[in-house]
Amino acid sequence: MSQRIGGWRVALRLARREAWRRKAQTVLMLVLVCLPVLAVAAAAVVWRTADVSGAEGVDRRMGTAAALVSGSGTTAVLQAFDPDSITSWLGEEEHVSTEEEVRSVLGSERTLVPLAQEYLAYETRRGRADLLVTQTELADPLTHGLLRLTDGRYPRTTGEIVVNAAAARRGPGLGETIAVMRSGSDGEIRTELRVVGIAESATTRDRPAAAVLPGAVGAPDDQPRWLVGGGPVTWDDVRALNAVGLFAASRQVLSDPPPDSELPPEMVSHAPVDETTVTALVLVTTMVLLEVVLLAGPAFAVRARAQARTLALVAASGGTPAQARRTVLASGVVVGLLGGVLGVLLGIGLGALLMPLAQRLQGTWFGPFEVPWTLLLVVAAFGLAAAVLAALVPAYSASRQDVVAVLAGRRGEGRPSRRSPVLGLVLIAAGVGSGVAGSGAGGASPPLVAASALLSVLGMVLVVATAVALVGRVARSWPLAVRFAARDAARHRTRTVPAIAAVGATVAGVVTLGIALNSQQAADERDYDPQFAHGYGVVQVEPEADPSAVRRVVAGRLPDARVEELTGVRSDSEAGWTEIAFQVAGEDLMVQTTGAFGTQYLVGSSVPAVTGLDPAARERADSALAEGRVVLLRGSEDEAGEGAAAVDLVRAVVRVSDEDGTPRDGASVEVPATTVPAGGQIAPAAAILPPEVAGELGLSVGPTALAIAPTVPGTAQADLDEALATLPGTGVLYVERGFRPDDSVRILQWVLAVLGGVLMLGGTLTATFLALSDARPDLATMSAVGARPRTRRRVAASYALVVGLVGALLGAPVGFIPGIAVSRPLSRGDDGATLLAVPWPLLAVVVVGLPLLTAAAVGLCARSRLPLVARID
Amino acid sequence: MNPVLKLTDVTRIHGEAPHEVLALRGISFEAHPGELVAVMGPSGSGKSTLLTIAGGLDRPTAGSVTVEGTDLAGLGQHGRARMRRTSIGYVFQGFNLIPALTAAENVALPRELDGVAPRRARAEARKALEEVGIADLADRFPDDMSGGQQQRVAIARAVVGERRLILADEPTGALDTETGEGILQLLRARCDAGAAGVLVTHEARHAAWADRVVFLRDGVVVDETGADRVDVLTGPGAR
Repeated sequence: MSQRIGGWRVALRLARREAWRRKAQTVLMLVLVCLPVLAVAAAAVVWRTADVSGAEGVDRRMGTAAALVSGSGTTAVLQAFDPDSITSWLGEEEHVSTEEEVRSVLGSERTLVPLAQEYLAYETRRGRADLLVTQTELADPLTHGLLRLTDGRYPRTTGEIVVNAAAARRGPGLGETIAVMRSGSDGEIRTELRVVGIAESATTRDRPAAAVLPGAVGAPDDQPRWLVGGGPVTWDDVRALNAVGLFAASRQVLSDPPPDSELPPEMVSHAPVDETTVTALVLVTTMVLLEVVLLAGPAFAVRARAQARTLALVAASGGTPAQARRTVLASGVVVGLLGGVLGVLLGIGLGALLMPLAQRLQGTWFGPFEVPWTLLLVVAAFGLAAAVLAALVPAYSASRQDVVAVLAGRRGEGRPSRRSPVLGLVLIAAGVGSGVAGSGAGGASPPLVAASALLSVLGMVLVVATAVALVGRVARSWPLAVRFAARDAARHRTRTVPAIAAVGATVAGVVTLGIALNSQQAADERDYDPQFAHGYGVVQVEPEADPSAVRRVVAGRLPDARVEELTGVRSDSEAGWTEIAFQVAGEDLMVQTTGAFGTQYLVGSSVPAVTGLDPAARERADSALAEGRVVLLRGSEDEAGEGAAAVDLVRAVVRVSDEDGTPRDGASVEVPATTVPAGGQIAPAAAILPPEVAGELGLSVGPTALAIAPTVPGTAQADLDEALATLPGTGVLYVERGFRPDDSVRILQWVLAVLGGVLMLGGTLTATFLALSDARPDLATMSAVGARPRTRRRVAASYALVVGLVGALLGAPVGFIPGIAVSRPLSRGDDGATLLAVPWPLLAVVVVGLPLLTAAAVGLCARSRLPLVARID
Repeated sequence: MNPVLKLTDVTRIHGEAPHEVLALRGISFEAHPGELVAVMGPSGSGKSTLLTIAGGLDRPTAGSVTVEGTDLAGLGQHGRARMRRTSIGYVFQGFNLIPALTAAENVALPRELDGVAPRRARAEARKALEEVGIADLADRFPDDMSGGQQQRVAIARAVVGERRLILADEPTGALDTETGEGILQLLRARCDAGAAGVLVTHEARHAAWADRVVFLRDGVVVDETGADRVDVLTGPGAR
């Protein structure tokens, strides 16, 4: 045992000296190990700081109070330790909780401070917007922590208010008057308050928020809530509060929860471990580890080769293969330890630097700076593992090297193994099988799809050596620099293979994700159902709304817009709720509608363009309406359903439900009908009635919506929304813009391309510059036989090209395997059809563009001075 | 007859004062077509410096170097590289073949570097390999050849493309006697065919293949006894 440790001690000492002696190489290794550790460590620090948990979160919820007690609306409830997670109502009758009930449970000496938080509206410069208003005794010490005053002072009277910066940006600021609106059953109450301070809410950063003294903006609608002062509120207290219909978030219970056995059985959560998340985590970790190992691999291979002569001499004087192996592995240990520690420390620093930027992107306030040491230890261990794994293959090659060949100064390696490509192909086949099995129509299996990704990439890694040898063999007729690069790559496989494999794995990952994203987007586009004609905007209006006011608002922002009133049957009238059934042979026709026009039944003598009917259908519908026929609109989903056959004659039956909800038949009339396809899957309205039919049925008819002809620019919409919100009885403006690919997809594709580029550049650069330093004697020879200085650049660019192109060409097809496997469940439609949308431009960029770009960059950056044969010996 | 190589008052100082080393001090030297000149002298006498300067790999501190009438000092890096591709061939003790290239490709290297189409360059290389007697090894890689074979490839590389100046630095140093004799025979043959050869060696019996022997000591040319300095040692048949 001690002998073994002793062996390691020598190996580690050698490795440490070697690391110091070859500083540039060591820095390269360190960078490769350090960077991923650094990135993850920085992310972990930001994440932990952004994540407000435990005592921090409690302060934000209840200030300095011992508990936040709230009424439930009934007389008995159950809750988990945190009432925000699981609750249950046991009582049947309605009940409004009182302070006395709280005191009866917790003791009469406790301080209770009412706290209400609700969304009201306020007047902004452009119209109105939501405002999160906190009503509480702002001077009471129990409320400390709910708000943070940045300017001015807290309100002292009910006529004063503090707002946060987000609210002040859009509306009145410090010293001005703000109007806050509460809408209730009996209309809207408007309160004007003076802004005396700017205070940030502990809960939101980017949404408008404000705080006032109790009663300043009327009585809250919600159940009453109190901040409870005094000693800790125990779990038993919480249970006692539950028994009288009160929920309680207790500081003591939340900070130090009792064992789960204390919970009522209904309140125990059985959240299943999310299989997909775990699988994704395992897959990502494995792939990152693999990528780091492959990227760092060439550096370790070169170091092992630099030591080859020493190791051969050791072997010649009786050293064992194990000793040789250990010497190389020790390099991994030294670099891994150093890289891990350095990466974590730099990551903490980077996290601290990134914090302000991250805060700007986040809607909630971050907590104090936090360093998750345990997590960082795991990350550092990851760095160590990556370095040791990267040194593994060079270590084994070193222990098996041909001593005679090394001592004779022959460079290069033996033939590639015959077994590994076979095993590689078997793994790739297994990856295909796993992908097919995991993405079948029977249901997707994330572990099988993940296995497909891992198996095929590992398979590819095993095939690389053979591919490189093959490229060396076919290089015969290639230009000199490329031929030299290809042959040299084939001769130094321990150096080239991991670099090419790293590029291949990167490309495979990019292709996989690219196919998945693209296919999902294609499926979304396929499944997209427009609400009405493309480019139109629609604002629904209630009977009390003033359509001309809407016109004025629209005209103010969009002077050129054509606004058309849509007339329809008002379902909600004084008589009750009106529905019209269209019957054929006594049976109601079932029609689905989106209700986009504020009514199910349009009334008019022609079809409005906004319905989006195709021209033929619209012409048919127009002439039908002119003849006094009812036009029935049917979406493709209705067509597929029952009663799809064309209908000639229907009986329109008016049903009015009274307040009890019991429908009674009203007027009914037999009318000729024409059925036209609505264009989309679901029709925007069920029917268009000629005005005389509507009159015959005695329906309440009026404007139900306004259609704005194309096109409302996206930039104007926010303004219009805020302005329309001030008009009573006016809905929001919906503009049919067709399928809009999620911005995140495009951003993700960019991120993928850039990440792919960075990793490819990393892999290519390491391999190229290691190769160049290895090729010094060859370059010197070339110089002696008359090579131009730029030959070195050409050789460098060719190296990059060989590494990048071979990697990309191997990786791209491999990426298709998990890519298709992922895209199948993502794109499966209702009919079971799947889509495969290959992002060809992304593929072209990654497979052709990036290698060429990298080669060009390397060619430009490489020194053009050729080494000289210092002494021709 | 014009000399292929002409060194006039060449001085080469390595390093800077006070640590400067005078490798060559005012050497004048000529090699004519069809002539093989042996340069002999003890270690550190400046033999190798002489060769690197003659081949344009290094530049003299003072003096001029002319190859086939072109002054190397007047050429830039590119021009000197071009001279090495077209006029000057090197043969090294360590062969200095590129292991990633086959024998034919190694020989074709200067031609390809000169922009000759690979197919034509390879054809010329095969011819050159034929002339050194190893045409059958054209597609072998250097690691799969013996030392003598590798040196023949190196000589083929030095002469391919009708280059008229061959600079050989201890070409037999890494070979056994018999193989070494073969290599020298080959060099002699190339010179007899019209090239000018400069052979750096420290073995007297190799000098026997030369038309003329130049002795160097401490950076100056001395006479055969090694005692007196010889200022001018030019002209054929001065042996």
